[in-house]
Amino acid sequence: MDFKPSPERQILFDTLKKYFENEYSLSDRNIAAHSDLGYSKKAWEAMRDLGILESLIDPELDGFGGTALDISTVFEALGRGLVVEPFLEVGILAADVLSRGNDAQKSLVKKILENECLPILAHSETDTEYSKSFVETKLSVEADGSYKISGTKRMIKHASEATHFLVTCRNTGDASSEEGISIACIPTDREGIKIDSFATIDGGRVSDLNFTNVSISSEELVGELGMSYSIVSHAIDTGILAICSEALGIMERIKELTLEYLKTRKQFGVPIGKFQAIQHRMAQLLVEIEQARSSVINATIYFDDETEREKTISAAKFSIGKIGTLVAEESIQLHGGMGMTWEYDLGHYAKRLVLIDHEFGDEDFHLQKYISL
Amino acid sequence: MDLNFTKEQENFQIEVRSFLNENLEPQVVEKVKNGIPITKEDSERWHQKLNEKGWLAGTWPKQYGGQDWDVVEKFIFEEECGSAGAPRIVPFGVGMLAPVLMKFGSQEQRDYWLPRMLTGEDWWCQGYSEPGSGSDLASLKTSAVRDGDYYIVNGQKTWTTFAQHANMIFCLVRTSNEGKPQEGISFILIDMNSPGIEVRPIITLDGSHEVNEVFFSDVKVPVQNLVGEENRGWTYAKYLLTHERTGNANVAVSKRKIQKLKKLAYDAKKNEQPLSNDPMFASRLAQIEIDLQNLEITNLRTLASVENGEAPGAESSIIKILGSEIEQDIDNLTRKSLGKRAFVNEPDALSTGYNGAEVFPKAAAYASGKYFNHRKKSIYAGSNEIQKNIISKLMLNL
Repeated sequence: MDFKPSPERQILFDTLKKYFENEYSLSDRNIAAHSDLGYSKKAWEAMRDLGILESLIDPELDGFGGTALDISTVFEALGRGLVVEPFLEVGILAADVLSRGNDAQKSLVKKILENECLPILAHSETDTEYSKSFVETKLSVEADGSYKISGTKRMIKHASEATHFLVTCRNTGDASSEEGISIACIPTDREGIKIDSFATIDGGRVSDLNFTNVSISSEELVGELGMSYSIVSHAIDTGILAICSEALGIMERIKELTLEYLKTRKQFGVPIGKFQAIQHRMAQLLVEIEQARSSVINATIYFDDETEREKTISAAKFSIGKIGTLVAEESIQLHGGMGMTWEYDLGHYAKRLVLIDHEFGDEDFHLQKYISL
Repeated sequence: MDLNFTKEQENFQIEVRSFLNENLEPQVVEKVKNGIPITKEDSERWHQKLNEKGWLAGTWPKQYGGQDWDVVEKFIFEEECGSAGAPRIVPFGVGMLAPVLMKFGSQEQRDYWLPRMLTGEDWWCQGYSEPGSGSDLASLKTSAVRDGDYYIVNGQKTWTTFAQHANMIFCLVRTSNEGKPQEGISFILIDMNSPGIEVRPIITLDGSHEVNEVFFSDVKVPVQNLVGEENRGWTYAKYLLTHERTGNANVAVSKRKIQKLKKLAYDAKKNEQPLSNDPMFASRLAQIEIDLQNLEITNLRTLASVENGEAPGAESSIIKILGSEIEQDIDNLTRKSLGKRAFVNEPDALSTGYNGAEVFPKAAAYASGKYFNHRKKSIYAGSNEIQKNIISKLMLNL
């Protein structure tokens, strides 16, 4: 038995960690994350040059990674850096969908690596419905055999700069049915698309997208008409693995920041870490973070196992949701007033950690899902 | 990352499984699986079977009759025993005192005491806690004063598990009041049949008799029963406690208990539906299952680091906290799942000679008793608060 990452992955992790520590300043990140664009194009390009995207993508599509372990390793490092640039949206969600498409769509993955396009998956529709198969956006077949789609997508991150939308839609079935789901890959300048974008609490911009009678051709479908649920499902599961790993990186960084604070902040003449009331809360956090890491390792082990994947993914997302919120709240409390300030790093990590629970299903959703599987 | 057992480890697992299959007594397994206490004789027969196979003390070196098991083999053996419903090996001799004798005892002591642990000639108990010294163990007061070839021991030990069965006790005693409290403690072996020893039972809140008070008045102990050096006992005691805390994950036992609980919840009815369909119950159960699944990986990560030569250190404190709390959660939910039947307390319902009404489901015979009894899990072997102190000191450096 050995739980250590391979030497290659360890080097990758260490390189990224060092890069973020030295080159990705949190104050610059915060300015970019809360700007009109929601991230820094300069940072995005600099990080692309490190090969981060390639490490998320299969060698067949010009990458050099793409396994569950690669994704987990890279996203833990991205979490440590609190990276806001669209690696999840482009490198995982869009690339995973496109890799299952036709040759033209596969070539878009290569174009992602060459920085020639920025495709974004437009899937979620209501704010509180986390089911992977929930799609009401309508795909209608026209008399000439072409298609039109109409509907609304909500809270789509980093959509305002996208070159393509990968829009889920359905021509048959109930709103939550796995049957009848299609994915259309269309340029974002197609007529009938309206974008309303909003600032976020944790950085980056989100958008509500409205599609009104948007024309698409049959070549623009990813997969077969009405048969693409498994593509969406795999992409979202991969996304869950990625943000759970991101959350681990964030928790490790929060642990470091908090420990450093407990050892330096003095009250009553001693570092506050000398007080048992503080020590036991911090020890409990350590125990919980180790359990969170184990849940992600478990999901990674079973990721390519079709029968176990969803159950272990839900167990991990539940664990991360529950433990992440605890770590965020406790670390702010242990920092006292300092944890409340915009200037200090901690609050920004805590915000992202809490909001991760709102992506791809929260702890309650995944606990219910775990029970149902 | 490589999470598979080696071929040899897999073969060993199969061997353990088939041995358990052939040698466990069904009526003892039924007691274990229903959480009902087993008798001294049940334990002794099982120890003997294991000893014939050479597995009573598998982690011991071959020269003393062990198998030199490494951490993974020990883990496999314990997990298989846990899922099969085998009685736990009573740990005080083979698991706790033996490692201390091997590391700090004299050759003479090893040659004399170790074989007797295997044959069952000695039944050991542990004399650590005192009425005034629980978490603050180093403040212990039971004194041993040198008088010629003997120590004269006076004082009181408490929470002494199975002292009522034991013929020997290993004790921490005070041999000096100089310097720090830790520096005046010695580790000695005392014959429970010595004049001046009195054992008084402590009945726990569930009505069972596991622990005792042991009183010493002018008890004569031969000096050759001192282990290691005088006043160095604290070092030996800490060494023993690290051994006590490993193997506290109890993953296989907890998994078996969850399966049992699922069956109970399926058979029980609430709102005319199986209780297992009740969303509140299902949510409680699923959270425990996920915690346990995470603990299984956390435990394997610790094992892997020991296997690869890293010290276990305070990680065993993490395992102790999680293992005890998860088992308590399962006992709690088992009690809840029984509804009004949880009032029943008939721990003898599976013993030979029981002639009361049949308890159904059988698990109800001692479910509430077990729940209350297992509150001990977060208290013994260093309370979970003490474990957090250890984590703060050794892992967080606070």
